[in-house]
Amino acid sequence: MSLRSLLRKARLPVAVGLLGTTILVPGPAPAQEEVADALRRYKDREVSTGFYEEYEVKPRRMRPFIKSPREAPPQRPFPLSSTAAVVRNRTYLADSHAGIQFYARRRCEECHVTEATHSHTVRGNVTCRQCHGGEPIAGINYYYSPMNPIRRHSYVCAKCHEGANASFATFLVHEPPAGAPQTRKVFPSFYYANWFMYLLIVGTLGFFGLHTLIWMGKESYHAIKEKMEPEPEAKAEEEPIKEPEPKPEAGAGPKEEPAGGQENE
Amino acid sequence: MNDQVRIVRFNIFDRLFHVFIMVTFLLQAVTGMGRLLYQTAWGKSIVGLFGGYDGATTVHNTVGVLMIIGFVIHIAYILAKVEWQAWRRSLFSPDSLVPRLEDAKHLGQKFRWFFGLGPPPAFDRWTYWEKFDYWAVFWGLPLLGLTGLLLMFPVATSRIMPGWVLNILLLLHRAEALLAMLYIFIVHFTVGHLRRGMFPMNECMFAGSVELEKEREEKPLWIARIQEDGRLEEAEVPGPPRWYRILYFVFGYAALAVGLYLLINIVLYRNYLEWH
Repeated sequence: MSLRSLLRKARLPVAVGLLGTTILVPGPAPAQEEVADALRRYKDREVSTGFYEEYEVKPRRMRPFIKSPREAPPQRPFPLSSTAAVVRNRTYLADSHAGIQFYARRRCEECHVTEATHSHTVRGNVTCRQCHGGEPIAGINYYYSPMNPIRRHSYVCAKCHEGANASFATFLVHEPPAGAPQTRKVFPSFYYANWFMYLLIVGTLGFFGLHTLIWMGKESYHAIKEKMEPEPEAKAEEEPIKEPEPKPEAGAGPKEEPAGGQENE
Repeated sequence: MNDQVRIVRFNIFDRLFHVFIMVTFLLQAVTGMGRLLYQTAWGKSIVGLFGGYDGATTVHNTVGVLMIIGFVIHIAYILAKVEWQAWRRSLFSPDSLVPRLEDAKHLGQKFRWFFGLGPPPAFDRWTYWEKFDYWAVFWGLPLLGLTGLLLMFPVATSRIMPGWVLNILLLLHRAEALLAMLYIFIVHFTVGHLRRGMFPMNECMFAGSVELEKEREEKPLWIARIQEDGRLEEAEVPGPPRWYRILYFVFGYAALAVGLYLLINIVLYRNYLEWH
């Protein structure tokens, strides 16, 4: 039985099946997601947002199980320097810029140079403060910060991305440089995906670029050579109408004459 | 060119698929590059053609969905083309685009010919670079389509996989798109237009037919096989009419111009390209 006749025969059952599925299986409603569990009821929402109805509740001791690539290099037993130690601790402060001199007169991107060029700012025209909040800007790990991963999705992401959940919030807006060695530790899959694509691009373009380059060089070499010394074969090539060569029929590969019509690849 | 014997090489479906992918690919390339380089004045002006960033995104998404539909139709088409009773012979015949051992040998022969170490390979119906062109699109389209579809609905995607996968999907989408553009604009355009004997344009993908005598040199095994089977007569077709040639020359060169324009700007703005 050919595939075509099989498809023709299966037309009706497939159509009925699709129709039945569409009618019988209810579509997911966004609002059901958090409440769907009859046993846990609002627990998911409570755990992930710290909110139960309008009261803010303390999340449980454990951070909800949000697996995300670490945004900072892994902690060392001892800080590299006293400054580094201060910088790291600042992510836990209620006012992460406390004590910085002339802070009122400085702009975010003066210090956060690489953080200022990312897709949300460049494309979406989002400002730093729209996500990180107004003064005093809380560190992202500060317990009550809206940027804290336990509630980031509902306080920050969902402002624009309706329905954002904790998983959505693990998207890295400030990506680490994909090819850099330290990224292998913070976000390995990103690092390996980047190098895979890099090697694929360089390999493909390198191989076929070289292939094309040599090919074109070879062809122009033959073209110039034939122009310099017009041989009988070259003339035959220019007027192919008058000389239909019946030769290649005899043997599959008319390979014996390197200066023949073969350069006309 | 019409006073020569011509034989059919591509049927109407093959040609329509090619025109379809030309138009959609270039639209995706323009809207994609414009958005990728949105921080530059050039990117903003390109995106402006589609009514701004959001307009370009809408066009990009819509055309992307069209491409996925086209790809599904293409799969149905090739599934219908395989003779399933004799699938082994059908899939691995020289008329099939499935890679064969000969292709690797031809590649080696070709490189030997490049350096004057041997005769050029005698090709059958499909050369190895034609097969590579086909399979490159065949792998690129699902990758770009799938990553694009997932990126189109990020909130829904983050329900079925961790949100940071979107970072990787975005990287894959951009890198693969960049590879596809560079490959088409550099390698495919050179092979299609600049080869000797093909110079202004290799017309067979539009005309659907090739000159028999030219093909005898280019793909001797294919012609020999047709002749052996006695199918040469039925493969003969009239050449394309004049108006149609003018049409596809204009169309082909317009596509070439768009591609080269993009390529030049990719090179000019290479420092702003971020594939992650």
